[in-house]
Amino acid sequence: MDDPAIRPTESTSLHGDGMRISTDSTPRFVYELPLPVADPSAPVPAAEGVAAVLQEALLIGNMLWFARLRWMAISALAVFGAAGLIVHDLFRSLGLRPPIGWPFLIAALLLLANLVFLSHARRIARDPSPRTATWNLWAQIVADLLALTMVVHFLGSLETVTPFLYLAHIVLACIFFSRRQSLVVVAVAGGLYVACVGLEHWQIVSVSGIYLDPRLRQGMTSLPAFLWLTVLSTLGIYFVVWFLASHLSGLVRGQEAELVEANRRLTIAQQEKTRHMLRTTHELKAPFAAIAANAQLLLRGHCGVLPDAATEVVRRIAMRCRRLAVEIQEMLQLANLQSADTPPQPVRLDLAEMARWAIARVGAVAQERRVTMDEQLASASVVAVEDHLKMLLTNIVSNAVVYSAEGGIVRVRCDATPPEGPVVTVEDEGIGIPQEKLPRIFDVYYRTEEAIRHNKDSTGLGLAIVRHVAVNHGIRVCVESAPGRGTRFTLRFPSTG
Amino acid sequence: MSYLLIVDDDEDFATAVATVLRDGGHDVRIESELSAAIRTMTERRPDLVVLDVMFPENSTGGFEIARQMRWNHDTLKDVPILMLTAVNTRFPLGFSSKDIDEDWLPVTDFLEKPVDLDVLAERVAAILKNRQSARASVPRQAP
Repeated sequence: MDDPAIRPTESTSLHGDGMRISTDSTPRFVYELPLPVADPSAPVPAAEGVAAVLQEALLIGNMLWFARLRWMAISALAVFGAAGLIVHDLFRSLGLRPPIGWPFLIAALLLLANLVFLSHARRIARDPSPRTATWNLWAQIVADLLALTMVVHFLGSLETVTPFLYLAHIVLACIFFSRRQSLVVVAVAGGLYVACVGLEHWQIVSVSGIYLDPRLRQGMTSLPAFLWLTVLSTLGIYFVVWFLASHLSGLVRGQEAELVEANRRLTIAQQEKTRHMLRTTHELKAPFAAIAANAQLLLRGHCGVLPDAATEVVRRIAMRCRRLAVEIQEMLQLANLQSADTPPQPVRLDLAEMARWAIARVGAVAQERRVTMDEQLASASVVAVEDHLKMLLTNIVSNAVVYSAEGGIVRVRCDATPPEGPVVTVEDEGIGIPQEKLPRIFDVYYRTEEAIRHNKDSTGLGLAIVRHVAVNHGIRVCVESAPGRGTRFTLRFPSTG
Repeated sequence: MSYLLIVDDDEDFATAVATVLRDGGHDVRIESELSAAIRTMTERRPDLVVLDVMFPENSTGGFEIARQMRWNHDTLKDVPILMLTAVNTRFPLGFSSKDIDEDWLPVTDFLEKPVDLDVLAERVAAILKNRQSARASVPRQAP
């Protein structure tokens, strides 16, 4: 009665058609089946919500990259400045003005700024905050644009193509920022460029430029239309590039958001499927336990003596029950391995001890089939989930025993010495596996005809379990087999140092 | 002869277990309703309880009954519990004896369903024998 969906109601009520029904004094409870509602914690699919989440990750992840990229620009400026000092004659012979001082000045300013950005970015990386990351990136972009304007001025704002270097920042802004924010970057870049050309045009700052011959600049500026056309077309190109880059970036972000959402839904569906399978398997176990128990009652004479033919039928029922019990157990194990809700913690274990446990576990079957177990187990430390490692080893040792000929030998070795990590080998002299079937033996429910002929109880799940455990633990499994002569499984465990 | 109580909602299974235990010479009662289990135990204290885990209204009802017996009822706290389970939520790969924990799983022993009835009968006999020898040793240990 604690369920909030259940509420007591008046002893009289109006039925759907308006008819008053039931007037007795017994309280009645009404329960309304709750309809599924959207998970409020779920991100909004393929919309700004997801895009914003992605953008935050992009911002924080790329702050450091941005600052590191600046070292290259600083180095290039320093090299250019050094070239102006060392090979100034070469510059002159090419008709160029050797850069004196200004590349070092700009490089020094950028270097100082970059040290501040880097230390700030590292601090944010330790304690992520998208808001501060955005400010860091904005400061980086503005500092870059100012430095770039100085470079444009010193190299030539009209006579060189350096004003197009602003495009790099425009494109980066389109990737990192929203459309509106990237348009602000376009405005800042365009404004700085126009300011640079304007200050030079009205001679508020002296005209510089890389070319020695002043006639080039004079020729250009003698035509007023040229100046306006150059500035306007440059600004137009900034705008076109911004339009294309921000549009494409928006498309990519949208698609990425859709992928993230699709992936989230798939993961949830997969988890739900696994949970359902676990629950169904458990539900199967209960009635099956009753069938098995009742078959045992008959077989063990608790209900009197049965005729021989009836005993044989009940024996077959009990046998199938045993086989089904193993299969259900293995299905559960596999489903549990696949469901990653709460992955168990690996611990340090002695591989030899685990192998001994697995050998003891199959001891009765080995005795029944007159298979001799030959073990040479050196202690070796591994880090693994104990239950999972036991499952892996038991399945491999059990296969070796089950698929051995009567009177055969199963050799289990544990070698701790190889430098790359401990190795376990399990070798039998059994039926073997044909070469073409080897790649499929780890598939769920795959059983070779040879295996079924030899052992009807095979579930086809044992090696699928082995594969899961091996993949989760980084264990390399190698199978060598010769049909009719035997099989060897080699397990190479990762070194634990 | 001991008085054994089977608490299990699956009557087919419980009847089969009861048959084997009765043939072993015990007085056996089946209680299929979880809500009545403690009352039935307090009416006549069993020498051993065979307890299921999953019940239709409570998927971990068996654990709760075991805890109630241990913590809330002085007369029942020493009654040995043999737990039978088809479900295992905390250790999904199967219980092992290391999982018996006074806080989480306060039981004497457990078996996973489907069970071999001979094994079950042996476990019951072993628990009862241990209990008897423990009881017999108490006066000797007393000052």
